[in-house]
Amino acid sequence: MRRMIVTLLSLVLLSAGYAGIADAQSFVGIIKAVEGGTTLERNGEVKAAARGMQIQKGDRVKTDPRGAIGLVFLDDTLISMGPNSEVWIDDYLFEPLEKKLSFIARILRGTVCFLSGQIAKLSPESVRLVMPEATIGVRGTHVLIKVD
Amino acid sequence: MTACAPKSLVVLAPDPDGAVGHITVSNPAGSVNIDAANQFTAIKDQKSAPSVPAGMDPTQIQVLFGKALAIQPPVPIHFILYFKTDSTDLLPESVAELPKILAAIQERGSEIISVVGHSDTAGEKEYNLKISTRRAATVKSLLVGMGVTGTLIDVTSHGEKNLLIKTGDNVNNEKNRRVEVVVR
Repeated sequence: MRRMIVTLLSLVLLSAGYAGIADAQSFVGIIKAVEGGTTLERNGEVKAAARGMQIQKGDRVKTDPRGAIGLVFLDDTLISMGPNSEVWIDDYLFEPLEKKLSFIARILRGTVCFLSGQIAKLSPESVRLVMPEATIGVRGTHVLIKVD
Repeated sequence: MTACAPKSLVVLAPDPDGAVGHITVSNPAGSVNIDAANQFTAIKDQKSAPSVPAGMDPTQIQVLFGKALAIQPPVPIHFILYFKTDSTDLLPESVAELPKILAAIQERGSEIISVVGHSDTAGEKEYNLKISTRRAATVKSLLVGMGVTGTLIDVTSHGEKNLLIKTGDNVNNEKNRRVEVVVR
């Protein structure tokens, strides 16, 4: 049983590395740290989250009761999540030269810390954190969100 | 704090460097602004307005958000390297920055770093795009030469499109002849 888990993990790391080189331009962020049972869902496919994996627009990140994860985005935004949490990266666009800026994250449940980066600095109105009960607008900031 | 029905919370925390930002929490029933550290608002549902902001004890913040805060990555560091005119040679003070970049990559176990080349406006646009590309490539090979392996070095160049110091066309400006390295 133990060997199977190790094999699955190394397969995930392998595919993440390959995707890294091929998709250098389409990645919007990276997983810097991960704990417990944390998953990344992309286009309906669920994979185990691993350090070094790239994040793309549309990704859905979920932590289980032992899980936690820390993400860094291209514009220096940081998102970290505690256990039993779920965040969807609904929109991400960081092309400051073309003035194309957008960051919309949906927080479905759990505890999430958001430290804003250059998108919020350049265009605060382009950043929205969407909770089930309300929407958060940010202006250069560190926000802690708990959705029950 | 009594909580009969589950309520979601939004807390404005100080930045790692101590600065305090500003947030707005809104739904169809109402909207609140928070611009002071460790203040929070509670929201029950879309039909109930967010509560009037009040202070939350930092100990309580740690209890609620401790796990998420502990796994927050470090803020990326941006290094800027400068070049001699019409050259891919770094200025001496920028050569001195390279070991610091290497140390940052090693300390963070970086998986992806970005190298972005820029130029000033002296000369033709296409030439400037070319030279900024060559400058970025130079920095990448310098880093690889110093032993940066297993890290994806994402190289892009902006030519004269992203001036640090706004100048007119055809202006020789050493502050614009630069490569930015972002270490995550």
